Amino acid sequence: MGLKATARKNAIHAMLIYAVGCNGCDIEVLNALLSPRYDLEQYRVLLTWNPREADVLIVTGCVPWQMAEPLKKLYEMVPEPKAVVAVGSCAINGNVFKNMVGEIGINEEIAGPVENIIPVDVKVPGCAPRPEDIIAGAVKGVPKLMEAP
Amino acid sequence: MTERSKDVVVEKELSFGPVHPALIEPFRIRLFVNDEIVEDCELTINMAHRGVERLLEGLPVERALLITERVCGICSNVHAWNSVRVVESGLNIKVPDRANYIRVLINEVQRITSHLIFFGHAFEVLGHETFSMRSFLLREVFMDLMAYIGGNRVMPSVPVIGGIRPRADLTESLKRVILERVDDFEKKYLEFVERVVADPLVMSRLTGVGLMSKDEAIKYHATGPTGRASGWDYDVRRMMYEYKPFDFNVVVLPEGDNKARVVARALEVIESLKIIRQVVKNLPEGPIVNRDWVPGKMDFTTMYFETFRGELMHSYSLDSQGLIRGYKIRTPTPTNLAAMEKVCIGDHVTDAVLTIASCDPCMTCCNRVEVIDSGKTRIMSEIEIVRKYGWRR
Repeated sequence: MGLKATARKNAIHAMLIYAVGCNGCDIEVLNALLSPRYDLEQYRVLLTWNPREADVLIVTGCVPWQMAEPLKKLYEMVPEPKAVVAVGSCAINGNVFKNMVGEIGINEEIAGPVENIIPVDVKVPGCAPRPEDIIAGAVKGVPKLMEAP
Repeated sequence: MTERSKDVVVEKELSFGPVHPALIEPFRIRLFVNDEIVEDCELTINMAHRGVERLLEGLPVERALLITERVCGICSNVHAWNSVRVVESGLNIKVPDRANYIRVLINEVQRITSHLIFFGHAFEVLGHETFSMRSFLLREVFMDLMAYIGGNRVMPSVPVIGGIRPRADLTESLKRVILERVDDFEKKYLEFVERVVADPLVMSRLTGVGLMSKDEAIKYHATGPTGRASGWDYDVRRMMYEYKPFDFNVVVLPEGDNKARVVARALEVIESLKIIRQVVKNLPEGPIVNRDWVPGKMDFTTMYFETFRGELMHSYSLDSQGLIRGYKIRTPTPTNLAAMEKVCIGDHVTDAVLTIASCDPCMTCCNRVEVIDSGKTRIMSEIEIVRKYGWRR
């Protein structure tokens, strides 16, 4: 393991982007990262609100059209190498908001799952996923960071 | 935004949002500041519109609760419950007693998780991270109970039309687990609350800040614990037949400051524990679901419900095939928004965010379509917009 990879491994910064779901996944991610029961911070995975120092982006929610542009901008701000984790059914396929439509056919409010807007590396399914799953997903994004030159 | 007289010179405007990485939920705050005292405040929502009311148009009524439950991830059960209450009331479906008891149980369990996340948020904004972490740790007890009863930590999805899902039925062993956990929780929770109330630093930040009198609470229609902390004795739970068998107090505090809003929620948790114990001890035997109903024509029916943050309204009608027409949801936060703008006026700018947080906002579920028509902004329901402008954006 090179010097850069060692340095990265010891301070992985995860950033949570809330792209408008229902708040459920959001709080579960905070639970996994911050709260004393699951506490990823003890393994030196830190929650940050600054995209310029983030390594792992955690995106929740179904991304309405108003949020598509800010999401793209935030993704571009994150320095390379970066990994994107889409957490929850909304972020993976739009959940009920995109798929369970009554008469309208297509819900025009939703700009699509996260994949339509930025590339996704890891998907964590569930509505809402358990904190254990979120931790497993965040850890799966780590090798991409380590292998980067 | 309240009326501001023209001759007041506003020194500075502080503006956040609408989308900022540090704001978890997308909304916009504008604070007009003079000498570090907030003169006026404006909250703008509307970056999180998902079109839920439109999605529900034309769905079979049995599937409505799958979408309404996902309106909000903190108060998921109340949306599911209230949407089935509308059709139960409209079509006169009798709900078995045992089902009602278990619905009340899961609702009170979720009320406690919601109030504890309020503490976590409020103390983090206040700058006291230890209290914030302690309330997150206490919350896990009830997140576990929700998973044991409903099968999911966030979306327990317990009510269905006519009763509850079979998987949510309480077994004897589960009853024992609930009672044990509740006893354990109460001991730790009381320790936590005593520690908070005895902390001079925290209390001095909360006391006397963000004052709202009873008249203002009624004028701006601050429902839920926010209104009750200003002395407005109003709780929809008193009028609900589901809550008739249970003995509980409605917490009303006269002060109307930030401390009262925190303490009101702290005391409500203890009342919820009382209800949970009564449910488990007096749970009647019998069926849990009444399947003896057919979807058919129903006129517009409106049901009100006391959620954890305020008053919730669901209203819809059914056509002759049992499809939903004209669904209307009013979540508690829109009714509290005007109160949130009011309470931060006249205080120091550092307390403004804490004061807004003390009203327990949830911006996700309060997004309305806003129509700006010849310079005048007004909030319309989606049905009104369709009548006026058609479906295309």
